[in-house]
Amino acid sequence: MIGAGIKRGTAELAVLSILEDGPLHGYEMARRIEEQTKGALRFTLAALYPMLYRMEQRGWIRGAWEVSPSGRRKRCYRLTPTGKKKLLPLRQEWSELFQALRMLKKVSHA
Amino acid sequence: MRDWEGVVRGKLAGMELEADERGEVIEELAAHFDETCSELCRQGMTEEAAAEVALSQVKDWRELRRRIQSAKTKEDDMSNRVKQLWLPSLVTLVLSMGLLALIQIFGPKPWLFGWNGSSRWPFVAPALMVYVPWLLSLPLIGAMGAYLSNRAGGSRRAVLSSVVFPVLPYLAFFVLALPVVAILNDHIAHNIMSRALFVGLFAWVLAPGAALLAGGWPAQLFLSRRLHSKRVVSN
Repeated sequence: MIGAGIKRGTAELAVLSILEDGPLHGYEMARRIEEQTKGALRFTLAALYPMLYRMEQRGWIRGAWEVSPSGRRKRCYRLTPTGKKKLLPLRQEWSELFQALRMLKKVSHA
Repeated sequence: MRDWEGVVRGKLAGMELEADERGEVIEELAAHFDETCSELCRQGMTEEAAAEVALSQVKDWRELRRRIQSAKTKEDDMSNRVKQLWLPSLVTLVLSMGLLALIQIFGPKPWLFGWNGSSRWPFVAPALMVYVPWLLSLPLIGAMGAYLSNRAGGSRRAVLSSVVFPVLPYLAFFVLALPVVAILNDHIAHNIMSRALFVGLFAWVLAPGAALLAGGWPAQLFLSRRLHSKRVVSN
């Protein structure tokens, strides 16, 4: 069972990373994360939006309403400069964690 | 095509956000449901089945409402936990223990039940003491705990924990502390230990716990039903 702290950390990293490529709305964000991780990371609506709102409050991302070609309003999120700054050390932390885990014999055989 | 905004508005009724902000959240979540549904329909699902799958993304609407509210208002989890669990728990604990102390000092004598009683020694340890007025007052205290936790948006688990909180220290004592003491301390009468444990569990955990739940559980059901009917009305 993955702990809540680890889940939250990976989820935030996934959102920041996916937004690095450009602004996206919630549904598309979830779809691309699922696609790019081959289904390993899957966001439900209930998990995604509270996290997006929290990240927005922290100033890591910013949402703005845009009108899609179908005429429907969608809230697109983009990385803020604070979010961009946050992404690098976050990636570093996770990379170090995975490297450390790989060094453990038991984990690498798991 | 389903009115997703109406569905989400109904499910998130009572969310304490500014009207504009609430409207934006509802519109955004509705758009997400709409897209999920459209995608599933494109994959060949019927609209009804797609809507069901889309809605299954949210297991607990109440929890989602709480998490959105907390994220939007910068309220940290700690202060939520205080309002939803610790404060109602403290109220039920203080009220029930305060009342027990008052009844022990000023109230009628407790009912006593014992084992192997004879005419000379009617009660042989362990004796069971039942403070009837206290037990009768506990449902009200349980209902109060449920109301306070529910009003703060507590989950069902938080509500029920607040309701039975006054008996939890006793439970910990009887389940953990007493056996440990019995093992370590030679002066304890081991021949009556197991019976004392069950008597204590009944008198201080099971009976008051049931009394607290007798008030707290119906209160929780009533308050959730009222919330549900509010949603239906706002639909």
